[in-house]
This record gives sequence, structure tokens and C-alpha cells, in this order.
Amino acid sequence: MQRKFTQLMSATTLAASLLLGTSAHAADEFNHLVRIIVPFAPGGTSDILARIIAPKLSTAIGQTVIVENKPGAAGNLGADAVAKAPKDGHTLLLLDVGSLATSPNLFNNLTYDVEKDLAPVGMIMFAPYVLAVHPSVPTKNIGEFIKYAQSNPGKLAVANSGIGGINHIAALVVAKDKGINWKSIPYKGGSAASRAVVSGESNTIINGATATLPFVTSGQLVGLAVTGKSRLKNAPDLPTFKEVGLPAADYGTFQGMFTTAGSPPATVRRLNEELQKVLAQPDIQQKIAEQGGEVMAGKPDDLKNWLHASIKSFGAEIKAANIKVEQ
Amino acid sequence: MELLDNLMIGFSTAMQWNNLLFCLIGALIGTMIGVLPGIGPVPTVALLLPFTFGMPPASGFIMLAGIFYGAQYGGSTTAILVNIPGETSSVVTCLDGHQMARQGRAGTALAIAALSSFFAGTVATIVIALLSGPLSKLALSFTAVEFFSLMVLGLVAAVILAHGSVIKSLAMIGIGLLLGIVGIDVNSGAERMTFNIPEFADGLGFVSVAMGFFGLAEIMTNIEKPSQRVIVSQRMKDLFPSLADLKAAFPAALRGTAIGSILGVLPGGGAALPPFTAYAVEKKIAKDPSRFGRGAIEGVASPEAANNAGAQTSFIPLLTLGIPSNALMALMIGALMIHGIQPGPQIMVEQKELVWGVIASMWTGNLMLLIINLPLIGMWVSLLKVPYRLLFPAILLFCCIGAYGVNNSVVDVWLMLGCSVVGYFFNKVKVETAPLLLGMVLGPQLEENLRRAMMLSGGDFSVFVTRPISAVLLATVVVILLVLMSPAILRKRNEVVES
Amino acid sequence: MTEASEKTKQRPALEELLFGLFLAALAGGVFYATRRLSVGTAGDMGPGYVPQAISWGMLLFGLFFVGRSFVIPGERILPPCWRALILIPLAAAVFSLLVMKAGLAIASFLCMLVASAASSETRPLEILVFSLFISAGSVLLFVRALSLPVPIFPW
Repeated sequence: MQRKFTQLMSATTLAASLLLGTSAHAADEFNHLVRIIVPFAPGGTSDILARIIAPKLSTAIGQTVIVENKPGAAGNLGADAVAKAPKDGHTLLLLDVGSLATSPNLFNNLTYDVEKDLAPVGMIMFAPYVLAVHPSVPTKNIGEFIKYAQSNPGKLAVANSGIGGINHIAALVVAKDKGINWKSIPYKGGSAASRAVVSGESNTIINGATATLPFVTSGQLVGLAVTGKSRLKNAPDLPTFKEVGLPAADYGTFQGMFTTAGSPPATVRRLNEELQKVLAQPDIQQKIAEQGGEVMAGKPDDLKNWLHASIKSFGAEIKAANIKVEQ
Repeated sequence: MELLDNLMIGFSTAMQWNNLLFCLIGALIGTMIGVLPGIGPVPTVALLLPFTFGMPPASGFIMLAGIFYGAQYGGSTTAILVNIPGETSSVVTCLDGHQMARQGRAGTALAIAALSSFFAGTVATIVIALLSGPLSKLALSFTAVEFFSLMVLGLVAAVILAHGSVIKSLAMIGIGLLLGIVGIDVNSGAERMTFNIPEFADGLGFVSVAMGFFGLAEIMTNIEKPSQRVIVSQRMKDLFPSLADLKAAFPAALRGTAIGSILGVLPGGGAALPPFTAYAVEKKIAKDPSRFGRGAIEGVASPEAANNAGAQTSFIPLLTLGIPSNALMALMIGALMIHGIQPGPQIMVEQKELVWGVIASMWTGNLMLLIINLPLIGMWVSLLKVPYRLLFPAILLFCCIGAYGVNNSVVDVWLMLGCSVVGYFFNKVKVETAPLLLGMVLGPQLEENLRRAMMLSGGDFSVFVTRPISAVLLATVVVILLVLMSPAILRKRNEVVES
Repeated sequence: MTEASEKTKQRPALEELLFGLFLAALAGGVFYATRRLSVGTAGDMGPGYVPQAISWGMLLFGLFFVGRSFVIPGERILPPCWRALILIPLAAAVFSLLVMKAGLAIASFLCMLVASAASSETRPLEILVFSLFISAGSVLLFVRALSLPVPIFPW
């Protein structure tokens, strides 16, 4: 279904890129339609990001770029499709790379090798997490909260956006470090988790700033702390995890781009250059900021190293917490 | 009057000529994809999303919303004419709508569906304007415990759908629940009964299963018997409902609207609960329930109204809380964010023009749907003149293409094929498949919420009766089951009363 | 009860018996397919808890129907129409086997022809022309207008 429409869309993107005056240097690296596969349902951060980037990338490389959603199996269905695509750099994968880092540790029946079958193109953005609680939890700041959590084992229920997701692991890491015993409650995606905490079904959440901050602003949730290097512009009162000595301080949502391993190095290099150029455009930066994130452009190797290190570190946490996915 | 002011703001936005145009385009596209089986509004909206980047947010949103309710309406046309449920919600419309078509009343059924939808759309617009606040509070008061009880109630309603034995219907619901379990388990991430087919990891495709059980199995059953000529009359009198029809349909549409407006607000209930529940209620309160499943006009009016009302009130959690109640609403949030609008509770105050413009456009959109669809009824009905020996291979082909189109994968065609054989078996042993389909839709949420409620309560089952809303829902379940299980007792009592 | 319907009564009631056996077989299949999933406890249900609980229910329902089939008289079931039962699924199978390799045009045309053979009322010439017409129409509608990602022809 997705594809039939994305093709219809391809025609229109083509028309759009013609109108925008496609650059004449349609280089030989790209000679046919380029697909960005988003391994999640439409409407999520990755999907929106892909749809913002696609027309810009299209103009840059002189080929039609379409976005195709291929959701399923925690992002692994779409990733597998890219891993097995023709090795010509025309099939791209844009996703929350955290899921790529946790998958090899959670599933022993993956149909592709995350590090060997996918070639990194570049990191795109980082969005921090917010730790927030339902107002019924009697704490006003992070210090009180940690004390409360330590002295009330089993009372707090932390909603996460899916088993083995990075925010699930973040909750486990914090619990282990601070000697907290709370329940992890999995939901189908971040917005279901947000709803649950706003309604008080669960009472604690560690989730993307975009989805969570509006509820903090409106008083439906009480914000306690944020991840990332510095405080958020639109929530300057919230301390960072680092300031208050919480672990998982660099956790968050990372979005990155990959293509099929074995694609010509020149094509991958060109993709990375064009991606970095696109990400440097002010309107893209602004759109990403509106999504609650910051642009995080870099070389393919940066993404490669990040992924390699993350697979290891998440793997250790997953093992320590004894998270297992039955097959 | 703040409400009047707000509605005025809304209508002044919705009535701008360009917004009317976008609304019309949305409704047209929606109707078209709704008529074709297997093609749903979510990918269509995803596809058209980039086009809305350049529009003012209100126009973009109005067009996308138009696609959504246009598709809701288009699905019922296919259901009535050829008994193929192209969307979850049109399964119920198949039950009596297609029977009406077979009796030569396709025109009436289509017109009633259109009129009920319009009526429900009008009322739902007012409901959203008046009751957004309280209804969003209701949505928030539902936790895993209440959702579980609501799903149980929904499943019991499924028993009423069928007119055969209660025990057989319960068994069919069980089969549906099992089908719904196929896929990755939310709570543990484990794959269950997927038989290593990656396409099944996110569950069996509902549309493929429904087309197999309804569309294909029916073809197989039909061609056994010599074909009967369907009477196709195209006189105006027969195309449009009579006064008696309208009289029968109106109260049903009213009840359907009420049911749909409330259930639509609850996240997760989605497209399935409102029409199924509305149908069950109609059948339960009817003087002669045996008419249902044989072309009862209330069986078309009420679910159609419920469906459309629910489709509209499902915008309430999005508009008031910034919480999407289904996949499509999640997409809408994405659309808002691209326009730099932060969805959330403050949106009602900060984006008055947008929010009320969209609400008002729901009414203009429904009016357009009525204007688009009433003249088309004659054309749709003439489709039935094609003899069945030609019609059925074409229906089969469209089912195949539709099933393929759900995920662009032949796996769904094979799934449909398998379901058609089982569906033929069910027809042979005279059990009805509608309860199975509802079980399949509600099953995953039933389990998810049960397990979540148990995790939160630490394995204490008493939460289901100590929380008031849940207790009331479960009490209703018990009462319905008692009444269903003891038709003999009830009949005797009636006889006593009458004598 | 009229005499005519009395004549068609039979024991065991085949409808009940077959449906009961189907349910029992389904329950068995689910038990087998979920045998490796942990069941867990009520407070922390494993992935196997709910499917196995439902399967127990299905098994009970199945046994109930099997038992009842020997107690109550049933109506005679018409033997299945093998022609329809085989050809209709076969038509769908033809479609799914051919659509990516031979293209939508050929898959549609053959799918309709195979399906039409299921009915005894089919007229050869008429269906040939009609199938050509519909196949061409679906290529135009689905591939040209809706951009369904399938090839039209094998070449």
C-alpha cells in the first residue's frame, strides 16, 4: 500500500524538483529513483524527518527521492529490506538508530547483520529525553523524587515506548544506579506511553522532549530533569541528568541514515556530503529544533563508531538487567 | 457566548473558498480510496502530507481530515454493493446493507448510509464544539483496567451480532482472539505464532482476513447454487428511501450517533467498537431481532452513524490533549509539528482558528460527501445489473489486488486465500464470522490492557471490580450474558406477562 | 417440525461435530505453536499466558460441540462443491504467484479466467472479453492512477 502511493508521490516530488530548478549537475553517482525507507509507521519522528529531508536531498542529487514506510518487527523489517537491497546506494534507511543498537542484543534471530550489512551515511539529529511524573507523585524536584523512589519500592510505574527501547533501558540504568525498585510498563509507542502517564495509569515517564514537554508546560505532568549536554531552551528550570548525578545522561533519540553495505564508496561519500549540506540549511535546522531536537551532522565513521560503541554498552545494560526476548 | 464566538471563528475559516476547495478534494480522494478495498486513509494521508507543507496549516489539516471521513464513507459503498468490507468499520455494514442490496434495495441502503453519516457528522460537530472538555476528561479516566472491561463488553456485544447460537458465537470470538494474538507481543517482544513469516510480525492484516472470510467465502458459497436475479430498479422511488424507511432509520441513527460520539473519544477502541456496538444495541432493542442480518434498515443506519460520529470525535483527544487516539491521528500530529505547531493541551487556546476551523470543516465536509454521493447512487446501483457470473471473477480480482496493496506483499493474498477456505467451512457448518472479526480486532488490546493492569496491580484481579467505571462495565457484561444464556427463561416470563 | 425437515435430520449432528473438531484441532495447534513461550503468573504474565488460556477455552468449547453432536439431531450438510472450493482459492493463488513475475495484466487475466471456471453458468466467449476488459481497466486504475508498485508485463 505504502509503495503504490509513494510512487505516485515520486512523480509529484519529481515535478516539485523540476519546479524548484533541479541542479544541473545530476552527477553519475545517482542514475535512478532513490528510496528512503522508514522502518516505522507514518507520523513518527523518523518519518517526519525523512519527509522533510527527501525533497532537499532530491534537489541536491538530481534524482527523485521518495519516502517509503516499512514498519514491523521493531524496525527490523525495514532495516532488513535495506540490508538486502541492490548495493548501489539508492536505497536509504532513516531511523532511530537506538533501535539498531539494541536489536542485536535483544533478538538472536535477526535476518541481517546490523554492522556488516548496513553502511552508515551519517547521523542526523539528537533529541533529549525528559524525566517527568504524574502530579499525584508527591515530589517537586529530582532530589525529592529519587528519595521517594528509593523509599517506596514498587510504587512507581515507568512507562516506556516498547520493550528494549532506549528509554526502557534508561529507566533500568537509573534504577540500578540509584537502588530504585520501580516497575517498567511497556506501551506501543511513545504517544501511548505519554497518554498513560497523563491519565495516571502509569506515573513516571522518560520520553522524548517533543512529546512530553507540552504536558509539563500545561501542568499535566511535573518535569524533573532532561538528558543531553545542556538544559533545554524552552524548559530552562529543568536540570540535566549530568548536573544531578544521574546515569544515562547521554541517552535520547538519535536519528541517522544508512544504506546497503557494499555500495560504491563514492556514492556513500556523496550522500554524506549532500546530507550534511542539507542539514546545514537554516530552515531544516529550524524544523528539527521544532521537533525538540538538534542537528547532529557527521561523517559516516562517526555514526559507525557510535553504533559500535552503543551496541556494546546497551548490550551490557541489557544483559545486566536480564531483559530477554523469547523467540 | 464563547462557544458561538468559537464556532464563528471556525466557520469563517472553513467557509473560505480555498478551504472549501481543499475540503472537497479531501472528501473526494477519501471516497475514492474508501471504495477500493484494502486501500486505507493512513498511507494516503502520509502520501499527501508533503503537499500540505506549502499550505496554511488550517487548509492542510482540513484536507487531511476530509480524506479520513471520506474514506469512512466510501467503505460502506463497497460493503453494501458487493459484501466486501474494505475497512474495519464496514464489516457491520455488510451484514444488513448487502442483504438490502440483494433484495433490490441497494439504493435505499446507500442513501440511508449517506444520510445517517451526514446526520451523525452534524451532531458530532456540535458535540465536539460543546463537549470537548468533559469528553477528554472521560478519555483520561480510562486506564488499563477500564479498557480491559470495555473490550470485554465489546466482545460480548459481538455475540449479539450473530443470530445463531450464543455458544457458537463465543467460540468464534475465541478464534478471533487467537488470530489477533499472532505477531510480536507488546509486553515481552516475543514473536507468537508467526511461523517465521516476517510479514506476520505486526499481526495478521485485518483487511485480508475480512476479505477472505466475507468476500471470497461468500463467492464460493454463492456459486454452488444457481444464481438468482437481483432485481435492479432505477426508478427514483426505489433509489431513495421512503418515508417509512426514514422513520425507521432516524431513531437508529440517533442512537448510533450517541454511541459513536462517546466510544470514538476513547483511544484504542478505534474504528471497530462504535459500529459493532451500535449494531448490537439496535438488535437488542428491536421488537423483532430476527430481521437483523436479513436487511434491517436500522442495521445500516445505526452503525453508519456511529462510525462517522466516532471518526469525528476521535479528533477530541488530539485537539484537546495532543494525544492521538489512532494511527491516523498520530500522523496528524506529525502534520501539525511540521507546521511548527506544538500539539498539546494549549492548542485549543493558541490556535483557535486552526482548531475551530477544522471542527467547522467537518460539517462542511460531511455536507460535501452527501452532495457527492447521493447523485452517485444510481450509478452504483446499476453496477448490480452485471450478471453474477461476470461479477464474481471481477470481485475476486479486486480482492486480490486490494489484499496485495495492503502491504505490497503477496503474503496478504495467501492469507486471504487461507481465510476463504476456512470461511467456506464456517458457512458450511453454519457459524457466522462477524464475531470472529471483532474478536480479532479487539483481542490484542484486550490482552495488552489485561497484562498491563495486572502488572500495575501486582496480580490482583480485584481492581476490575473495585474501580467504579470498570465495575459498571463488567456488571453490564454479566447482565447481557445472563439474558443471552437464558432465552428460555426470558421467553417463559414474557408469556406469563402476556397471559 | 414438518416432515420434510424431519427427513433431513441426522445423528451425529455433522455441523456440530465438525465445528467441535475444528476448535479442538485449533486449540491443539496453538498449544503446539506456543509451547516454548513462558506462561508466567497473573502479576507478570508471559507471552504464552493469554493464548494458552484462550486455547483451553477453545478446547472445552470443542469438546462440548463434539459431545452435543451425539445428543441432538442435526441437519444434513450438502456435500462441498469441490469445483468452487478448489478453483476460487486457485485463482487467488494464480494471482499471487504471477503478479510480480508476469505482471499485473497477465496475472489479472488468468486469475479471472480460473475463477470463472468455478461457475457452471460461465459463457466462454463472454468471460474472455470481459476479463480482457477488466484486466486492462485494473492496470489503468491501479498501476497508472494509483501507482501500485507491480510490473504490468513480464518484459
